[in-house]
Amino acid sequence: MTRADPEYGHLIPLLEEYASTGTGDPRRERLRAELVTGFLPVAQHIARRFSNRGEPLDDLVQVATVGLINAVDRFSPERGSDFFSFAVPTISGEVRRHFRDLGWSIRVPRRLKDLHVSINGVVSELSQSLGRAPKPTEIAERLGLPVSEVLEGLEASEAYRSSSLDELLSSEQGSATVGELVGEADAELDRVDFRQALRPVLSELAPRERTIVLLRFFGNMTQTQIAQEVGISQMHVSRLLTQTLDRLRNRLDPETRVS
Amino acid sequence: MSDAESLDGMSTVEVRTSATAALIPTIRAVASDLAARADFDLDAISDLRMAVDEACATLVDAADPTSVLQCRFLVRPERIRVHAEVESAKPDTVLSTDTFGWRVLQTLADDVEVLHKAATDGRRATVAIRLDKSAGDVPR
Amino acid sequence: MPDAAAPDPFGVGLPLDTAMSRPRPGTILLEVDGEIDTATAPRLQAGLDEALDAADAEGSRVVVDLTGVTFLASSGLAVLIGGARRLTALGGRLRLVAASRSVTRPLQVTGADALFDTFDDVASALSAEASRPSPATAPPPGVAPPTRGVGR
Repeated sequence: MTRADPEYGHLIPLLEEYASTGTGDPRRERLRAELVTGFLPVAQHIARRFSNRGEPLDDLVQVATVGLINAVDRFSPERGSDFFSFAVPTISGEVRRHFRDLGWSIRVPRRLKDLHVSINGVVSELSQSLGRAPKPTEIAERLGLPVSEVLEGLEASEAYRSSSLDELLSSEQGSATVGELVGEADAELDRVDFRQALRPVLSELAPRERTIVLLRFFGNMTQTQIAQEVGISQMHVSRLLTQTLDRLRNRLDPETRVS
Repeated sequence: MSDAESLDGMSTVEVRTSATAALIPTIRAVASDLAARADFDLDAISDLRMAVDEACATLVDAADPTSVLQCRFLVRPERIRVHAEVESAKPDTVLSTDTFGWRVLQTLADDVEVLHKAATDGRRATVAIRLDKSAGDVPR
Repeated sequence: MPDAAAPDPFGVGLPLDTAMSRPRPGTILLEVDGEIDTATAPRLQAGLDEALDAADAEGSRVVVDLTGVTFLASSGLAVLIGGARRLTALGGRLRLVAASRSVTRPLQVTGADALFDTFDDVASALSAEASRPSPATAPPPGVAPPTRGVGR
């Protein structure tokens, strides 16, 4: 994983090109796909560094890929640093954030995660107006929610969370997959264990299809968001996803199908 | 701490663990949970969690290896009192308060005190830390 | 990049991991994950020593990324303060990435935050211009050397 590595050398000019194309530019889609898939081994490499912590490697690769997508999107070559300098901490930051949040994220429903986000917003607002950190009751009042719900949300946040209590009180651990976290995942997806299956299939996909699958299942974007990002219609995204999932299913050995 | 104080109608929670640093995370998790339920502000929750950690870590250092670490939380409106206690490693164990950790503990808690109890027949010497923390209305 | 994860002897205490990297020339990044207390502070010390030794040898700046830290006790603060002192003696400032209350509050309440340059995220910590140590950034009265004391 050095910058002289011939595996990545050809991607460097693409990074510059990607950074210089505007959001409406049709070339962006192709460039982004090529960059994300081209640098995928970097994300995999970083995911492996964290693989001794009891999380399935495939989950970590998915999280690392989200970090890679962020890195590709946010990298600005004109700042004079090379891509790896920027991408490696960005990707590992994403994986570490995942571990930090894992204690609660694998068990809490979407509603609580949204609550967590609302609480965070209100906390900074209230801290400003009160001149001190807010209390749970103050947060509840501002959000118009029962205190019990705010406590639940706070528990999900790291504001006072120690994961050890969680571990102590919970017997079932690591039973969820990132797939389960993607609450709105397509119904088809529920029938395949894409963690196992997707990686080899991904490498066979054309760059654009690969990007769409990455964005959908790893980037957790909706079809509409992908359509905007990639510059094609939502219908087209839907069609490509269906085709890709079909291919995926066809390749699956019945034994590897995990419901 | 007198019995009258612990019986004035407020909640009491007690946690007992082996006196080992590895179990302190559990105790401080209980501390922050209680503080949140007592409507402490978020900084005060964080401070209590850290203060309890500090007190327990100090005691574990001075504890007999076979001792239990007993941590009692008295939850009142606007205030939590924590009483943490271990059996001393030696009859004459004295907690050192001339440490960075102790200074931090003093900063975090509203009030903090060390209590040594000498051995009596059949009971070993104990050392305890009592700390008080208010819900956080007092601006620092 | 070695992964410093060590098996936890008790199986109950939380792990603390550190990983050192050089994200750009002249910068050493130490990523720290876990809860820093008396049980885990020695691992932070080892990681930070390694980073500071390398910084000393290479003349690099040091960024300690505490994004993944969910608890910070005085034992951890003492390690960080020691690192800041050592780096100040070398003419630098220790950069910390501290995003959550579990890290910012201990820094703030002890007054130790004045000893570091603190950033919200890694990208800004890596890209910020060097700040020179100035008299205004001397340790606050509360944190008086040499006893590592704090208090207000």
